[in-house]
Amino acid sequence: MLEIKEVDTFYGDLQALWGISLEVKEGEFVSLIGPNGAGKTTTLRSISGLLKPTSGSITFMGHDLGKEAPDKIVDLGISQVPEGGSVFASMSVIENLELGAFIPRARKDKNQTLEQVFEIFPRLEERKDQRAGTLSGGERQMLAIGRALMSKPKLLMLDEPSFGLAPILVESIFKMVQKINKQGVTILLVEQNVVAAFELSQRSYVLENGRIVGQGTGEDLLSFESVRQAYLG
Amino acid sequence: MKKKTIIIVTIISLVLAFAPLFIKNTSTLTILCNVLLYIALATSWNILGGFAGQVSLGHSAFFGLGALLTRITWIAGVPLIFSLLLGAIVAVLFSLLIGSPAFKLKGAYFTIGTLALGQVLFATVGNIFSTSSTLPPEALRNYDLTPRYYLFLVVALLAFVTTYVLTSSRFGLGLKAVREEEDAAESLGVNAFKHKLLALVVSAFFTGLAGGAFAYFHVGYYPQYPFSPVWSLDPQMMTFIGGTGTIIGPVIGAIFFVVLKQYMSLNFGEFHLLIFGTLFILVVLFLPTGLVGLWSKVQKIKLFKPKAQEQKPNV
Amino acid sequence: MIQSLSQNLVYGILIGALYGLAAVGLSLVFGVTKLLNVSHGELLMLGGYASFWVFKLLGIDPFVSIPLTILFLLLIGVLLYKVIFSRIVTFDIENKIKNSLLVGFGLSIVLQNVVLLLWTADHRSIKTSYSGQALTMLGIRLPVVRLVSLGITLIAVIGLHFFLKKTYFGKAIRATVENWEAASLMGINVHKVYLVSFIVGCALAGVAGTLVTLSYSIDPSMGLEWTLKGLVVMVLGGLGNMIGTFVGGIILGLTESATGFFIGGNYREIAGLVLFILVLIFKPQGLFGIKEK
Repeated sequence: MLEIKEVDTFYGDLQALWGISLEVKEGEFVSLIGPNGAGKTTTLRSISGLLKPTSGSITFMGHDLGKEAPDKIVDLGISQVPEGGSVFASMSVIENLELGAFIPRARKDKNQTLEQVFEIFPRLEERKDQRAGTLSGGERQMLAIGRALMSKPKLLMLDEPSFGLAPILVESIFKMVQKINKQGVTILLVEQNVVAAFELSQRSYVLENGRIVGQGTGEDLLSFESVRQAYLG
Repeated sequence: MKKKTIIIVTIISLVLAFAPLFIKNTSTLTILCNVLLYIALATSWNILGGFAGQVSLGHSAFFGLGALLTRITWIAGVPLIFSLLLGAIVAVLFSLLIGSPAFKLKGAYFTIGTLALGQVLFATVGNIFSTSSTLPPEALRNYDLTPRYYLFLVVALLAFVTTYVLTSSRFGLGLKAVREEEDAAESLGVNAFKHKLLALVVSAFFTGLAGGAFAYFHVGYYPQYPFSPVWSLDPQMMTFIGGTGTIIGPVIGAIFFVVLKQYMSLNFGEFHLLIFGTLFILVVLFLPTGLVGLWSKVQKIKLFKPKAQEQKPNV
Repeated sequence: MIQSLSQNLVYGILIGALYGLAAVGLSLVFGVTKLLNVSHGELLMLGGYASFWVFKLLGIDPFVSIPLTILFLLLIGVLLYKVIFSRIVTFDIENKIKNSLLVGFGLSIVLQNVVLLLWTADHRSIKTSYSGQALTMLGIRLPVVRLVSLGITLIAVIGLHFFLKKTYFGKAIRATVENWEAASLMGINVHKVYLVSFIVGCALAGVAGTLVTLSYSIDPSMGLEWTLKGLVVMVLGGLGNMIGTFVGGIILGLTESATGFFIGGNYREIAGLVLFILVLIFKPQGLFGIKEK
């Protein structure tokens, strides 16, 4: 479904990604793990169109994403939950969710999708008229995920959804992501939380210093120092 | 690079110094006076606007104050040199007065705030000194363009040399750091406020001095005129055309500005401002680093063969 | 004395409404795109001239021809944005402001001179059959033209407020202002948001211009004065709050009138500017501004 081939991405003059290749098949739950600064967020941003790779290709369902604008990429079916959630604090929960369905193809089914999202995240329905800025960390993350779902994505990418959350919340968030996957949405999860990543995903890629250094299941990857450290630490 | 610059500047200065001996045509000399005035103005503005990164649109206040004080005192009989210094000092005092509150504002707010301030002075002076100021009869009789030319030359040179000295020093480095990333600079121990204030003061001094030269130069004008916003906008435009944050930029920009405007007003008559404005927009859009930036790009192409494929293009 | 003071203050409110309208357009553009379009006053002027010529040549009442003015300015806005401002809008914020400032100057020179060449430096104003008429309430004279202008201003500002607060696209605009990357990830086309905000800002300037032509006069050099008023009120009222900006305009108008009444006409402008500077120093986010971060 998603195919990244030999992608280089720069921040100005600084190269952040070096010949990244990975793929995600339809229906899969794939993780991208690695330490801080490895380039995980950069990878997601490159896929979403916020950064343009200078070489290589990113293809989604046969469609070359290289030249597309971010809003077009959402239309094609990729939705990202950015790091920290990035909810629109000045607007209410429901306004945030509605904005998630901004693209025309999602807009017509807005009410239906909203119901589905509330089913997965009942807490959001309780707080639907509350200003997003007043939500707790966990609720904000749920809102961010819910909002991303509103665009009816085929591929949902999550950037460290567990970051800064209490362990019990982390568990419930991941359970919900699993549920979403079971409902047919392909997942690409970026995480530092290696334990969770291994448990949830069928495959993982390890990213270090802007390079993919390995892929496989949990046991396959334990040979990597960074993975071991994260696992134990 | 330094020695070369010093030699070039000295040669040009000498040429300019001897120019009045060869150029007898008063209108040519007047144009030169204008060019030198604008060089002085743009160079001083650039200290604050280009090097310190604080885009001020209130410089007309300094220019006007310098002009006002110089004019009044000189006509009243005070020797010229003291009148000029007084004008410059008053400009500096004013800058000290507004410096602290002004630098609380950042970015666009600083610009808008200084614009408003300039306007306040413009309107106030217009109310208080509403009649035009003309030179007394003997001064009119003895009017000689040459000393005025030299005054402009001296002011321009002083501003230029001071800019050079200031920006090549440690102070200049600190200033650059403040301009690029103020918070980061502060964390490194650079007192941003002191740097900005000093830049403001020096800038105000030379702008005020230029104002004094202006007052000495003109036979008759409305005291409100040097407070007009054009005296804030034009130096900014010139500096930008030449290249902000460079020492030579304002000079080139000023020359370009005056010469271009002259040429165009002669050849395009009533269309000249229209064309000038369009050209300016094009420069802003396509030459953001100014003429200086363009020159260095041209040089890079001529002298420096890019290493094959090592430089990846920017995203 | 109370009588003429009241009259004076009422006039202050009436002109303040125009200041407010001029500022709202500028604030919308700056707030959303972070472009400081200092040719805003010239856009206002264009609106005025459009109304003037439509009135002179086609005999259409300027209040009635406002939709035409709006259309005209929308089109000009599209042209300006596509050709000029879209190239700057991708810069980082510092450079965006500096460059838009400079481009704005250049543009103001161009627009001023285009108008000057086309229609001379003569002052123009529109006098309709009801131009001299006025209502009198509680002994205060309320010119019809200015009352209707006030009404239109209120409609425009409140309309804009509702557009931003309640409509889907308006919310998309606010989302973009808050976090443009997150907004893009929602499928919001940020460039479209910028374009719409820009041209709406231009249209508002145009409407203000029409109203100015009716109550006062227009000429090619009026731009800078109105841009300055717009900038002052924009900062005075505070960003992010259209109603607040409008009220800022009223406050400026009242300050000027009161100053004119108590001190003298020449100091009106100065008082307004001094008020502005004071607010800027003590409350830089403006009187009603929404604090960022």
